Amino acid sequence: MSYIEVNGLKKSFTVKKKREKGKLFREKQIVEALKGISFSVDRGELVGYIGPNGAGKSTTVKILSGILTPDGGEATVGGRVPWQERREYVRHIGVVFGQRSQLWWDVPIIDSFSLLKDIYRLSEADYSSRLKELSEALQLEELMRTPLRLLSLGQRMRAELCGSLLHRPELLFLDEPTIGLDAVSKLALRDFLKWENSEHGTTVMLTTHDMEDIAALCSRVMVLGHGRKLYDGKLPELLEKYDTVRTVNVKYDAAHPELVLPEGVSAEWNDSELSLSYSPSKLPTAQLLALLQDAGRISEMTLQPENIDHLIAAMYKEMDL
Amino acid sequence: MRAYFSAFRMRLRLETQYRGAMIGGILCQLFFGIILVALYRALYAGRPQPIPIEHVTTYVWIQQSLFRMLTSTDVDLYDKIRSGNISYDLCRPVSMYWFYYFRAAAQKLMGSLMRGAPMIAFAALLPRGWGITAPDSLPAFALSIAALFPGFLCMCALENIAIGVTMRTLDPRGISGMLSLLMITFSGNLLPLTLFPDRWQAVIRWLPYSQLLDAPIRLYTGEYAPAEAVWIIPMQFLWAAVLMGLGMWLWDSNRKRLIVQGG
Repeated sequence: MSYIEVNGLKKSFTVKKKREKGKLFREKQIVEALKGISFSVDRGELVGYIGPNGAGKSTTVKILSGILTPDGGEATVGGRVPWQERREYVRHIGVVFGQRSQLWWDVPIIDSFSLLKDIYRLSEADYSSRLKELSEALQLEELMRTPLRLLSLGQRMRAELCGSLLHRPELLFLDEPTIGLDAVSKLALRDFLKWENSEHGTTVMLTTHDMEDIAALCSRVMVLGHGRKLYDGKLPELLEKYDTVRTVNVKYDAAHPELVLPEGVSAEWNDSELSLSYSPSKLPTAQLLALLQDAGRISEMTLQPENIDHLIAAMYKEMDL
Repeated sequence: MRAYFSAFRMRLRLETQYRGAMIGGILCQLFFGIILVALYRALYAGRPQPIPIEHVTTYVWIQQSLFRMLTSTDVDLYDKIRSGNISYDLCRPVSMYWFYYFRAAAQKLMGSLMRGAPMIAFAALLPRGWGITAPDSLPAFALSIAALFPGFLCMCALENIAIGVTMRTLDPRGISGMLSLLMITFSGNLLPLTLFPDRWQAVIRWLPYSQLLDAPIRLYTGEYAPAEAVWIIPMQFLWAAVLMGLGMWLWDSNRKRLIVQGG
């Protein structure tokens, strides 16, 4: 049995609409956030959980962190049912929600950490060794005596991570942890998560809209849409399916040289500059490059890097999300 | 228990940071104290009441000094309720009710001590009939302090009930606004309960609101004889237990709603 087992999980919400003119009661609308999701995650896995806004990602995370009770289906984490015996269960998990804070706003972060020590009943020795380890890895030593409200967003997120990992949870939920962070903070955060995962075998479930997060961190990705699971597997394999078209830009020394391109390649000339798109599966890249080189002296050339966001957008479109 | 005491300590320390609010609060309560005392003196000049004026001014000053015990609210918590962040507190292995009870207790205790101590010192310097008089007797003083403890428990429990109501309405105005109006009126903060008509008092003295500050103050001034503490203090504890039970029930049903409906 895997560490996380989810089977046919269902959840719907009742949303009250604004009362329409001439009607006595407000209309209610039932929104099915999850329509029966199943998956399993092994201990120590780093799983990315993606999907457009409103796909049901946060609902799944809330159910698995014991905040919500599902309407149907089963879920166990390490043999425990999250929404039963909630208080015992939450001892073993950590949560970071990108846009919310669990630390106290007006007090130095070290005080918030020491409150967490008491909340999770950590021993002094255990707490101080873990705090030392985390504050080194997250570079928080200088900031310990600073109130949370004075920290930058990147520093605050590092402090949040430290707070959620003090009690050495087996499982860490991250809900959009890199939202609003600058490039340096993002990279540092990713490095830290990789380190925590390999050093302590912490299982991580990550929801994000930043595909770079997934590419850098997750060996496995699940795609969710309209409350259903649409894909579960490795990221490269997912991308391969949608990564059908590449774009090449070439600039020649002379204007508009003689060039005959095979069918299926669309080309557009702009004086000496050529921009064309092709599918590598039909026309091998090496063959195309040979053709281009034969036509004349190339002064500049770029092969458009695969834009992960475009791929995902194409995928969402095909999946009708 | 460790977590709750830790939260209590942290909130105590945090409260000492808000010095601007403290000075503002003292000035405001001094203003109200002086206005009310002047008002009652004017009332007595026209038509003396059976209660001596010194008792009334003492009553007013103690009420004004400990005003923060009645009315301090946790702005952070109201923000959390409005934004739905409160649901994330469910990810902690503690009882939410007691966690916030201790937080409120620390805020009320430190907030009122910081404001109350200088105000009582000020009022003690005022002439008799304007300021605070000495307690009726030593036992009266000891018993009034003793009665302040269950009164304090009731105040924190009432605070948690107001928060519990806000969790439903999502807005601290409305019903919880009405709750605080009831509190200000029937706790004797607006008009000393001793000045209410006797027939009103027969009812009011049994309400939870008169257990907060009214009962300790009446023990202090000798309005209630020390012997009466034998039933006053148990009644205060009884109300504290009832109010806590009510609050816990409210929070628990809110938690279930939260769990069903989402953050």
